[in-house]
Amino acid sequence: MESNSPSREPHEAISELTAADQARERLATGLQLPHGLHPLLAVTVAAQVGTAAVGIAEQTTVGLGIALAGLAGFLGVVGWLVHRFQVINGVRVDGLTSQVVLGASAASSGIYLVSLGAATWAAFESQWWLVALASAIGGVAYALGARRWWHAYRDDPAAHVGGASPRVLAALAAIACLGLAVLVVAR
Amino acid sequence: MIDLDPLIHHPARLQLLTMLTAVSEAEFSTLRDALEVSDSVLSKHISALVNAGYLRSRKGTHQGRRTTWIGLTRLGRTALRNHVAALRRLIDVVEGVE
Repeated sequence: MESNSPSREPHEAISELTAADQARERLATGLQLPHGLHPLLAVTVAAQVGTAAVGIAEQTTVGLGIALAGLAGFLGVVGWLVHRFQVINGVRVDGLTSQVVLGASAASSGIYLVSLGAATWAAFESQWWLVALASAIGGVAYALGARRWWHAYRDDPAAHVGGASPRVLAALAAIACLGLAVLVVAR
Repeated sequence: MIDLDPLIHHPARLQLLTMLTAVSEAEFSTLRDALEVSDSVLSKHISALVNAGYLRSRKGTHQGRRTTWIGLTRLGRTALRNHVAALRRLIDVVEGVE
């Protein structure tokens, strides 16, 4: 049993709080992202947006296969990145998983949807250079969103450690299911 | 008014809980290295805090070897917040007198 009614002198309280804050800061600032995370994320998201746009515009079984292949590639890469982060640092940060895997911030989700919409429209119009451009912009913006989150996390880890709320996850899952349903029905 | 928490009384436990607010889970050796304590000392602190419901632990792997992953529970987060608030009040009282 622990000792009851602990007491502290004020100078002890100050030094303990300072040491605790420093320990947290040391841990957070010592964390490292996997090498090349942001460029890899940009390329992967761009590829996923591009394949999804082409797949939707094709409206065939082949198109569905292209879209699913892009999605599988995206999930594989980001899953590997999250795993590498855990191996390198010996910690799990749900906020990072949300940002990297789901792009769960309003800005990332918005940019992703806009670029996907633009790329899909361009694919229907057979404007392939525009599909590539919209996909590239989406990928870069997504990676920049992840980078921005990372800086915010390093500044205040306790405030940014948490992952997406169940409500956000449910909304993203619903959007993904809806998109898949549209692909299947439209082919 | 909430008093200091006897379970977080030890400075290493305060550091341990505070560090865990920065991550969702941390692996045992990562915490040991960050706190600069021995395996046995860290195990003892973790066991006491797990038994109190402040921490959760699970067996897992890290770099190909079996290890323990530790995370802060909701109860632990509340206890830490209360303990830190009590420490700050203590400081505020003295600064108010001065």
